[in-house]
Amino acid sequence: MRVTLDNIAHWRHDLTGCLHVTMAVLLGFLGHDPLEILGAGWGFEYHPGELRREEYYFPCRGRSLLSALAPHHPVSSTWYLPPDAGTGWQQVRSVVAAGRPVAVAADNYELPFRPAYQDVHTNHLITVFGFDDERGDVLVTDPVPPRFTGAIPIDVLMAARDSTNRIDGDRDLFFTGNPIANRWLTIDAAPVMPVFDRDFVRNVVLRNIAEFRRPDGGSGMCHGLDGQRRFLAAMTDRLAAGDDTVADEGFVVAGPALAVAGLHADWLAMAGRRLDWPRLVEAARWVDRVAHHWSAFRITVATSRTDPAASAAPLLARARALAADHERALTLLCSAVETS
Amino acid sequence: MGNGERPRLAAGDLAYRIVDLTAHTNCVGIEPSPRPGRGAFNIWYNTFPLEDLPPAGSTVDVGGVPFRMPAADGVRSDNVRCRGQRMDLAAGRVDWLYLLAAAERRTEDVVTVHYADGTSHAQWLRVSDFWPQTPARFGELLAFRTTSMLYPNHVDHRMAPAIWRQRVPVPEPDGVVAMTLPDNPAIHVFALTAGADEAVPACG
Repeated sequence: MRVTLDNIAHWRHDLTGCLHVTMAVLLGFLGHDPLEILGAGWGFEYHPGELRREEYYFPCRGRSLLSALAPHHPVSSTWYLPPDAGTGWQQVRSVVAAGRPVAVAADNYELPFRPAYQDVHTNHLITVFGFDDERGDVLVTDPVPPRFTGAIPIDVLMAARDSTNRIDGDRDLFFTGNPIANRWLTIDAAPVMPVFDRDFVRNVVLRNIAEFRRPDGGSGMCHGLDGQRRFLAAMTDRLAAGDDTVADEGFVVAGPALAVAGLHADWLAMAGRRLDWPRLVEAARWVDRVAHHWSAFRITVATSRTDPAASAAPLLARARALAADHERALTLLCSAVETS
Repeated sequence: MGNGERPRLAAGDLAYRIVDLTAHTNCVGIEPSPRPGRGAFNIWYNTFPLEDLPPAGSTVDVGGVPFRMPAADGVRSDNVRCRGQRMDLAAGRVDWLYLLAAAERRTEDVVTVHYADGTSHAQWLRVSDFWPQTPARFGELLAFRTTSMLYPNHVDHRMAPAIWRQRVPVPEPDGVVAMTLPDNPAIHVFALTAGADEAVPACG
């Protein structure tokens, strides 16, 4: 049997990673605009103790991964955890044969089209959209540079999916040590999405702002601006105390924060242009500035490993600047949607 | 000179002063192949291939602005990972600070320009991602795009990273004596040149 699903297109945003781009490929297959759906949400959430060492980490307690990524749209996703590699391939094959692309987790160390091939272990996400039983090939696509669409041997994909993702070297950072376990994922989306008009955009912006301003109780889960403040303070305090685990934790948690801020900035700019709403475009630039703080934050913590205490003061300054610009962005957004 | 008039300039009187960054470099981001050292432009230990860039130490023209390429050899540091370094500039007029730079994910931050009278002014420095297949976000000129990227265990010819030419405006150009880079380690600076648009007013 040979299957090649149509309507598979690359999509990428430079501040996101394999999670967003894979979801974008799957949403695009269903005919949806990835930016409209994935860029609407902007929030902060972190559950201390629930850090997952995977490139597609996103805090999603109580919700599906895609529901957390796109909280304003009727979409969801489902993870499947097969018992072994053979079952894992048969499950993926049957869903693709039925006409539905799926996302699969894979260790880049085993994927010939990834630069990390036979070099660095990591927990990556790609899309499967076809197979050829006779040739023993599977069709995959991955928009993360160097972007790739093509066939690889089924055995190679199975090895990547079944990898223990072990920590072998000093570059097996952040996303290693978490077995891939053949996990795979499907998405569901309502056939009709909310109309992208002024009312929808206004409601989305106001809901995002309300979530940022909702108190999080001060303990346990970090949520909204309160939680973001506590997270940043904890990172700074732990660096000052010489805690070298901040490098891993801070880098992984900041990834989604950077991605959603950058994506939301572009979503706002798109909405502003499409709906002739200049103040939204102006506010978008401030959201982008918040994203750029997260770029700096990630590298500050990632380079702190050898001397954590030395990075405490720069991180504190960064946290303060980020918080100030974040408040400014929310104020401008509030003003933009309330006076339109 | 009447109100609103600007001094007339003769052709070729733009003035550039190349700034020596040697004392401030703190990162090995360029290496020959095979790699002699343990370069790490980014946190994954990737580096730019020396052979794809203009000769180390040479003066190159990028978009009409001269820059001094770093004395890269894969062992000595060749770029400034921004940690708030203050750099003295030869006293004089500065209209633009030109940089060859690249970032680990795009970012923006504040450069502080210092004056002889002790005052200072903040200006924005914006640098796009060096990562392959990623366009400039901030309107920079593409200075260099290498044909490969170095990994600790291989050379990847599918990965073509970029170094950008960015510029920072200096609206109050007279009396500049120094600049301070942001404390933003995502930004790397390979070369810096101070430029004056109006260096030599013409007579008559």
